[in-house]
Amino acid sequence: MRPFLVPALLCLASLLHAQNPPPSSAPFRDKQVPHEPGFRVFIVPDMEGMGSAVDIHEVIAGNEGERYKELTGPDYWDRFRLLLTREVNATIRGARGAGARSFVVNEGHGGNLFANVLPWELDSSAILVRGFPKPLVMVTGIDSSFGTLMFTGAHANAGSPGVLAHNFAFDTFTVNGKALNEVGINALIAGELGVSVSLVSGDDVLIDETKTMLPNGFVAIVTKRAVGRSAAITYSPAKVRRMLQNGAADAVKRELRGDFKPFTMERPYRVEFALRRTFADSIVQAVAGLQEFKLERKGDRHFSYVTGSARQMGWLLDAIEEAVLR
Amino acid sequence: MIRLLSVTALLIATPVWAQGHPARDSTPRDTTPPAAAFGVTEYRQARQKLEQDMQRDGFSVYIIADMEGLAGAVRNATEMRPVSRGGSPQHERFRQELTDEVNALIAGARSAGATQFIVNEGHGGTLFRNILVDRLDPEAILIRGYPKPIVMSTGMNPMVDAMMIVGAHANAGSPGVISHNFAFDSFTVNGKPLNEAGIAAFIGGEMGVPLALASGDDVLTRETLEMLGALETVTTKTAFSRSAAAVLPPATVHRLLRQAGVRAVRRVKAGELRPLKMETPYQVRFCLRRSFTEDDWVRTTVGRLNGVSAIGGPGCFSYTSESAEAVGNLLNEVEWTVLKP
Repeated sequence: MRPFLVPALLCLASLLHAQNPPPSSAPFRDKQVPHEPGFRVFIVPDMEGMGSAVDIHEVIAGNEGERYKELTGPDYWDRFRLLLTREVNATIRGARGAGARSFVVNEGHGGNLFANVLPWELDSSAILVRGFPKPLVMVTGIDSSFGTLMFTGAHANAGSPGVLAHNFAFDTFTVNGKALNEVGINALIAGELGVSVSLVSGDDVLIDETKTMLPNGFVAIVTKRAVGRSAAITYSPAKVRRMLQNGAADAVKRELRGDFKPFTMERPYRVEFALRRTFADSIVQAVAGLQEFKLERKGDRHFSYVTGSARQMGWLLDAIEEAVLR
Repeated sequence: MIRLLSVTALLIATPVWAQGHPARDSTPRDTTPPAAAFGVTEYRQARQKLEQDMQRDGFSVYIIADMEGLAGAVRNATEMRPVSRGGSPQHERFRQELTDEVNALIAGARSAGATQFIVNEGHGGTLFRNILVDRLDPEAILIRGYPKPIVMSTGMNPMVDAMMIVGAHANAGSPGVISHNFAFDSFTVNGKPLNEAGIAAFIGGEMGVPLALASGDDVLTRETLEMLGALETVTTKTAFSRSAAAVLPPATVHRLLRQAGVRAVRRVKAGELRPLKMETPYQVRFCLRRSFTEDDWVRTTVGRLNGVSAIGGPGCFSYTSESAEAVGNLLNEVEWTVLKP
């Protein structure tokens, strides 16, 4: 998800608030994507970690809010959304070659409000979850019928020296004392449903940190090596697609062999997080006022939360987004 | 690269709330080290990261891709920067031309036996993201984005066999098309003036890597030849002012680049093109660009950089080092100082 999207949405929402408050996704929490037979793959494409991308201009459409108008150009996001779609297609191709039969792609990137993949260019066998808001944000639509979970174009955790590194709306986020990046958080939600992560692609910083975070292993694809927050040693898009195709085939084969285990942690989960320093106090107050979740305020922007359900923690992530929007 | 462009570029890359910066004056400013402010990792770390991708055998070519010296290019305001940075849509056509010229050079070098190609974006117009990634030779590794350590020599290492610079421009103060030199009006090492190509040759030279080819206008090719003694050159245009030139047809330039790429690799293999070696300790003298010199804070801050001392002349400094890489890092620090809002 975009690091800068939340303030962007805030601007947008404040404009709309008077007549048209943002819809809550809560009534949609129990909905499922259509069921399909065969081995199912759930793919979460983000953009910061995709091949070649290094700069915010390349992952922002410019329509996310007033501040973002200048952060794109006709040649940037547009060009990269096609490359993104081709990366997803390569992943699907590889997985299909190894026996997968059903594919759900859930937009994991907030640019253009979670609508980056080009539906007309996407592999025609895939179901695409797009738009915002959505109940489980990055894993909306996942259920226990999926055989495996893949993250493409993922980015490193907030505070790390990775390309466009960030973590939802947080400066820090831990569960039972363990720091989780976006991949880790979503792996936990999926893990509770018995779905394991088999593939992660992104820059070298993301891959290194995720390897220590998810002890059950996964196929790792280094799409680029970070040499700054907005600079990297990159490879040809064609080469990255080849790596993804081969990696996805390998991932499905190993998943079918039982090489990977769902990522689980001890319950109840003790969640602690710090909202971004850059957020206005009003946002912190709004999060503090979330009624559905019994958050305990530990400090200025620090909160703790205990839950027996990672899925509910996912709803909290969405609720934070919505609280931020109000 | 274009210094002025990167000023604009950096301001845009800075968070929006930081953009309403005060006009330059002598009040104290944020002097947070670049690493903390911009997230640039250490130069050595970048070098180690590139080394992981280097072939142990074969012949590796490191290409610096600048834009002012491209076939056809004459005007900074419209051709060198995109719409989103105050330029014009014509910039897009020159991104394609840049990609074509780099591909021509790769094709030539490959036919002479080169096996690995690293392309480093050297032009600030699009925040060092000018090459069209999906049209570049698919075997090339591309270093893109900004900020990155030692902008034009990121990742340079002794496993590189030859350096080449395409689309280069002449030195600050020379009568070349869009001539300039980083943040400087002059830059010398042991009394020898170095342009941007020369500085890259100096940093690579210490690692045993020769600058084997440079392309750009007639002023650039002549001065670089004088600077380095021997290298392959492709003259893409004849300068008639800082923004006018008699330009060769792009197709002709592509052919010349292919041919020169072949000759450059052959001559490096034959030992004819040698790395630029200079005597240590390196005595660096530089004068900041006049517009920076007039800024008290910039002048004071540059003067306080580790190892730098003021010499005669406003905005002129000396720096002594045993290491060309350290000089490269000094370039970074000066850049960041003059760019700081």
